[in-house]
Amino acid sequence: MTAPTTTVTELNAAQTAALIRKLTALADDEIILAHRDGEWTGHAPILEEDIALANIAQDELGHAGMYLELRRELDGSDPDRLAMFRDAAEYTNTRFVELPKGDWAYTMLRQFMYDAYEALWLEAAQQSTYAPLAEVAAKAVREEKFHVQHTALWVERLSLGTPESTQRTQTALADLWPHAAQLFQPLEGEDELVKAGIIPNIAGVRSRWEALMVKHLQDKCGLRMSREAFPGPARENHTEHLAPLLAEMQQVARQHPDAEVW
Amino acid sequence: MTQPQPTQPHDTQWPRWEVFKQDSEKRPYQAIGSVHAGDPDHALVTARNVFVRRPAAVSLWAVREADILTATPQELVSTPDVLGVTGVAGLYHVGIKKSHKRSMTFVDLVGAVQATGPGDALGQAHEQHPDALAWLVFPDAAKVATDPDPGTVESWFAPATEKTYKQQQYYGTIGRHVGELKRSGQMPGRVNEHPHVGDQPAVKHNEEPVK
Repeated sequence: MTAPTTTVTELNAAQTAALIRKLTALADDEIILAHRDGEWTGHAPILEEDIALANIAQDELGHAGMYLELRRELDGSDPDRLAMFRDAAEYTNTRFVELPKGDWAYTMLRQFMYDAYEALWLEAAQQSTYAPLAEVAAKAVREEKFHVQHTALWVERLSLGTPESTQRTQTALADLWPHAAQLFQPLEGEDELVKAGIIPNIAGVRSRWEALMVKHLQDKCGLRMSREAFPGPARENHTEHLAPLLAEMQQVARQHPDAEVW
Repeated sequence: MTQPQPTQPHDTQWPRWEVFKQDSEKRPYQAIGSVHAGDPDHALVTARNVFVRRPAAVSLWAVREADILTATPQELVSTPDVLGVTGVAGLYHVGIKKSHKRSMTFVDLVGAVQATGPGDALGQAHEQHPDALAWLVFPDAAKVATDPDPGTVESWFAPATEKTYKQQQYYGTIGRHVGELKRSGQMPGRVNEHPHVGDQPAVKHNEEPVK
């Protein structure tokens, strides 16, 4: 993103619609990944990592809350309603985050790839000409920079650990890599937001991300990487894994829609 | 210094590290608990997650349990040999426990001494702080510390200052750190007496508070 010279205070109708779409997609990825991470609560390899992953999940949920608050400012929608009362067909998260949690190597590698992507996106989004987004990005990027240190550490140790841990990490990378491409697909109307300096150019984020992946996964961890580019389906196109996740995540909210205290 | 212990067959845990936290540049490092971790960097990230998601901090140290020598006054009487434990000469950090009152922190680091080994450092700690309830020493070379660069402080510790709390006694109360509420006079003398949501009592009691 180029340095902004102006501040966007009034969004036109097309920009508003595109920004709502983008904020929702960002939030949906965070919500679904946080839930997958949360599935480790009580099951992580050691207590300390159980707590750590719960922390990461809470941070991601917090970021989702910030994105949806930005959306609320645009269309008055209620973040809790969006999170708890939309079905799979209405969720716009990537397949990358909805796939089952797998083993520890899969979870740590996915989180690392995601944290790096999010940290780079947020770093660029701090320059947004839309001040509310720039503020949110400045807050959230700090947490992502910590997450990525934690998950990079785990990926390194698993990759260079025992033959079994190496194999598991390599398998996870082969499974995850094709799905990661979906994170970098521009949404409808995204071009116009980029032109106005409201959001970062996702292609630029992608090239920085790929360089970082090569540096860590291949050069440092010795993993074999596919350099093939995968287009990935549209974000409305989910696997069979999302609906059961939402059923569990939304169960209490839907049973008690009038509950005042969570 | 304690020699590395042979691994117990039933213990599959990683080594234990004692964690020391510094709340601000002007405060001493304080022992706040321990984590299990495979290596120094892992100990630090784990310590950050376990101990400083919300509490204030600017720096963390982690020291492997095996590198720490401790004694209480009772132990100095029952096993005086502890003062003769040999090891590497150099700078040793000294921690003392001053009170039984604190709930979160147990030992403050109060300085450092040049010593011929851990036993000598413990003896000096005893001489300098004869009234302590416990002494703790470890070599400076044994500690691992978080990076003091602004980037680390910003990503590891700064987010904590903006996080809200849920009251343990009443899940619905979301607010600022309890210390902040106390300082601004918004908290009752005892935290668990009258939980509030905003300025409304969270629970209506039928009887007058017990005097």
